[in-house]
Amino acid sequence: MLKSLHVEGSTPLHKLSVRIKLAGLFVASLAIFFTKSPLLLGGAAALAALVFASVGMAPRDAASRLAWPLVSIALVALATGIFETPLAGLATFLRFATLILLAAAVTASSETGDVMEEVTVLMRPFERLGLVNAADIGLALGLVLRFVPDIALRYESLRESHAARGLPVRPLRMLAPMIILTLKDADMIAMAIDARGLRRQ
Amino acid sequence: MEIRFADCSVRYGDTVALQPLDLTLTERRIGVIGLNGSGKTTFVRAINGLVKPSRGRVTVNGLDTVEDGPAVLSKVGFIFQNPQNQLILPIVADDIALGLKSRGLATSAVAARVEAVLARFDIAHLARRRVHALSGGETQLVAMASVLVTEPDILILDEPTNQLDLKNRKRVIDTLAGLPEAAIVVSHDLSLIESFERVLLFHEGRLIADGAPVDVVRAYEAVALC
Repeated sequence: MLKSLHVEGSTPLHKLSVRIKLAGLFVASLAIFFTKSPLLLGGAAALAALVFASVGMAPRDAASRLAWPLVSIALVALATGIFETPLAGLATFLRFATLILLAAAVTASSETGDVMEEVTVLMRPFERLGLVNAADIGLALGLVLRFVPDIALRYESLRESHAARGLPVRPLRMLAPMIILTLKDADMIAMAIDARGLRRQ
Repeated sequence: MEIRFADCSVRYGDTVALQPLDLTLTERRIGVIGLNGSGKTTFVRAINGLVKPSRGRVTVNGLDTVEDGPAVLSKVGFIFQNPQNQLILPIVADDIALGLKSRGLATSAVAARVEAVLARFDIAHLARRRVHALSGGETQLVAMASVLVTEPDILILDEPTNQLDLKNRKRVIDTLAGLPEAAIVVSHDLSLIESFERVLLFHEGRLIADGAPVDVVRAYEAVALC
């Protein structure tokens, strides 16, 4: 079961600074919108898959974190293919698959604390303009990276309690308790953040 | 340390969670007991301003929990029932450092204080461990370290031995006993508070007993088992 989005390792991607990885992700996310060629986009997706594979994640972990995002973009691509053209659908799928693979590679190879610090630094110019609170944005991103795996754990625990009571495990039936439990936890986490004085008052 | 409740009550909609209360606390070890839903947690959350009084006021060393909210938060550390939820960063040392960094301390000062607090709790070996991989007792100790590294005067612990096995329970109790800071402990674990200087018993949002542990525990048993 997924317990952390970060994967420990000493691969070249792990050693690369978070700033360079985020800059690379930013450039890639712009670049793939400059072409519609399935060949180029396919190449980009293949390259992104190689980058992701270089993190050294166990295949089972990789599948569990990529399956749902890829299914979601497949649905978007299918709709695009039906309402526009099949080629446009394919391009949509390849673009978003590239982004998801690169983003997953960055997340897996970067410590949450480093990502938070880097995002806070990146947001400082906007803070000086009075647009945002840089530290709060860094903290918000850190919270997402830290607690998203907990949602997966909660799903697993609900699935087990259904199974223990002999109830069929239906994802839709678990949606309501999942949302309620997640909101309750979010409330507690927000309170804990205030109690630790981590958020600017 | 002086915590003062002056005609303080807390309501959640139509429900009165804490009946009007006048109270002054100055002891170093204070226990808070009562049945589930008796108002214990509301009471302690009012001390560090997580819960605002609907009427009256609460002051900590003269600071009002509403008007001086951030100052009170820096004086009163709080450890929740599920300490896992208050560990934000995945690496123990990074999480302990987070509270100091958010206060703008220099990197070298942060590192020195993190090292000192890890040594103080005898958990230096956990510094690079992932918070997901900690045992219940270790999580509780790391949560204490992450709060005490910011040097509050008062520590509030909500059910610190809840769900801990015997070994981890003893470790947490021993650590708690050695803390120089004032501590207010909410607990169903009556043996934990038997050596405390003062114990408060809440029932249906009202403070119904206040005194030495042995007397208050007797009153609790009378309420709980009647």
